[in-house]
Amino acid sequence: MRRQKKNGFFIALAAPGIIWLVLLFIVPFYAVLAIAMGKLNELFESPVAVWNPFAWSSENLIDVWHDIFGSAAFAGPIVVRTIIYVAIASLLCLLIGYPAAYFVARFAGRRKGLFLVLLVAPFWISYMMRMLAWVDLLQTGGYVNKALGWVGISPVNWLGGKPATVVLGLVYGYIPYLILVLYAGLDRIDPALIEAGRDLGLGRIRTFVRVTLPMSRQPILTGLLITVLPMLGDYYTNQLLSGAASTSMIGNLIQGQLGTPGLEGQGAVLSLLLLLVLLVPMIYYVIATNRSSQVAS
Amino acid sequence: MAHPREGWQGHGVPRKLTRRSFLGRSAGAALALGSVPLLDACASALAGSGTVQLPRPNNPVKWPVFAGNEAIKTGLAPETNATLQVYNWVAYVNQAVVNSFAKKYKCKVQVTTFNTMDEALSKLRSGLQFDVLMGATVDVLGQLIESKLVQPVNHSYIPNITQAWPDFTNPFYDQGWRYTVPYTIYTTGISWRKDLVNENPYTMANPWAMPWQSKYKGRVAILDDYREGISLGLMKNGIYDLNTTDYRQINLARHALEELSSLVNVRIDNNDYTEVPDGDTWIHHAWSGDMAAAASYMPKGVNVDVVGYWFPTDGRGPVANDTNVVLRSATNPVLAHEYLNYFLDLPNVIENISFNGYMQPLTGVTPQVLVKEQILPSSLLSTIVLPSYFRRGVAELQLPVDVDALWQQAWLVVSNGI
Repeated sequence: MRRQKKNGFFIALAAPGIIWLVLLFIVPFYAVLAIAMGKLNELFESPVAVWNPFAWSSENLIDVWHDIFGSAAFAGPIVVRTIIYVAIASLLCLLIGYPAAYFVARFAGRRKGLFLVLLVAPFWISYMMRMLAWVDLLQTGGYVNKALGWVGISPVNWLGGKPATVVLGLVYGYIPYLILVLYAGLDRIDPALIEAGRDLGLGRIRTFVRVTLPMSRQPILTGLLITVLPMLGDYYTNQLLSGAASTSMIGNLIQGQLGTPGLEGQGAVLSLLLLLVLLVPMIYYVIATNRSSQVAS
Repeated sequence: MAHPREGWQGHGVPRKLTRRSFLGRSAGAALALGSVPLLDACASALAGSGTVQLPRPNNPVKWPVFAGNEAIKTGLAPETNATLQVYNWVAYVNQAVVNSFAKKYKCKVQVTTFNTMDEALSKLRSGLQFDVLMGATVDVLGQLIESKLVQPVNHSYIPNITQAWPDFTNPFYDQGWRYTVPYTIYTTGISWRKDLVNENPYTMANPWAMPWQSKYKGRVAILDDYREGISLGLMKNGIYDLNTTDYRQINLARHALEELSSLVNVRIDNNDYTEVPDGDTWIHHAWSGDMAAAASYMPKGVNVDVVGYWFPTDGRGPVANDTNVVLRSATNPVLAHEYLNYFLDLPNVIENISFNGYMQPLTGVTPQVLVKEQILPSSLLSTIVLPSYFRRGVAELQLPVDVDALWQQAWLVVSNGI
């Protein structure tokens, strides 16, 4: 009787989470799957979700496969471009974000709170608004070009479909997430361990390489995961800061398909494929986290 | 029972040509086009397997009135204490005119907006209820009517139709104006900055090819619309059938746009009305209604005279019009009719254009009036749509489903850049 009561308590405790998972993940996921494997309403050129798995059609899947790998593939180069942009942007995020997080965690002292507020400040404004602000700053007569003009550099057409603008936009948009995660991880490193490294005769750089960096591996992994996942699906940064076909990313392709009558089914397939690809780093992350917690215990 | 539109086939495209084989054939077809004459797509041959054909100027359509979906009776009084639900594109109506209607008819008007026609159709089909749909494009009328989302209009409530161009009492897409009244009318042309671009499209042999100039790399943009985009590619190649069902022509347009992308790194967006005045874009494939509003977006100290808009002087270019319709789900159908009528009355129309930029096809809306009312600068008179354009211009109309898929696929490839 008591055991039953205990079980009921735990079920009640888990219920909100389970309901949340079912309503906001499993049902929408199945809906996307039903559209991906569904049919087309010929009059409206709109997708018809097929809920019965036995009636699913593989037509959209085959189309997307040919789009990526077929003889007339056009999505393949977009996938490659996306991977390159995201890789460069992530590396830049890390190169900029790590020193910033390290500084706040180790040297900010009493002003740590102030720096944290400054780091969180970008979150007070929506992502879209921040990107729109960049559109204003980067336009031909914008402040960036005016500033360049003061040092004798002629105006740059930043918004004319430049890959560099898109990559920097991604860096700017997602770097706060990385810095916060890195800060949380670096702040937890026991200063005594670093001092021990110094006491044992290591210089500043070697202490960092041999002690601090290995201990920040987990935060780096977490931070990169948090930034890479949304970057891969991002379409708004490219749309606002470039708009050129030559910088289109996988998110733009999915958005284009989902917004095109008759092609929504293929957009759904592509979304699911992206999800599958993103599962790989997620699984790696879970395994790495488990390993490190086992080592720690 | 099969739907009247079920199994529609375009004659210019082989039956077995799927969008997949279309892509596969693209490279070879592009090469072959130099020597093989193009097939002329025959609009009148676009017969569906059902009772209704695709509307074309040479194939006018009188839509049927379905049982159970007849127009409201004559002589009814407008609903009182009502809230008229209007469904419209974003920023496509002057709220001041809406408010004055509400005041006159002692009602409330709630305007809900959509971003794409596809979104609007999708929401209407899902059961969302509105009284009026503003800005319904001509290419979706078949879908709206045959799925009984709209109701026929009772002409007795819309006497102001006499103020509209006579063409609109019997347009080819809705003979006898059974379901629609005209809303806006516009052309698609080329906008450019006269102070930054050396060429003047009015003196060019083929102004549609104006964007294809590598010296303007990074300064060229085209409209983000699959019909407009592919049509530009067609017209650049001298093809003016903007409803072509010939996959080789669609392919040719696609290759022209891909060439444009690699030549000038073309931007694809609908910000013609801000980018050209700003000077960020020097040549923009543009809508007349957008450019008519250019004066409002000029940077401080820059005169609107530097912005130009070209549309063929003979009127042979893309001309389109949007319509207003009463939805079948209307809970205030009489008030909805009055609303349609209100937006066909000259003073209201002038006030609406002053905000909207897009012209309405009323006989009283003349270039002289628009300049006198300071709605349009004299340097942008070319954005005005004349009645003759509507007759001589080329319209982008509803395509058979399989052909539409080819257009969309071509655009998807162009807009995502290879």
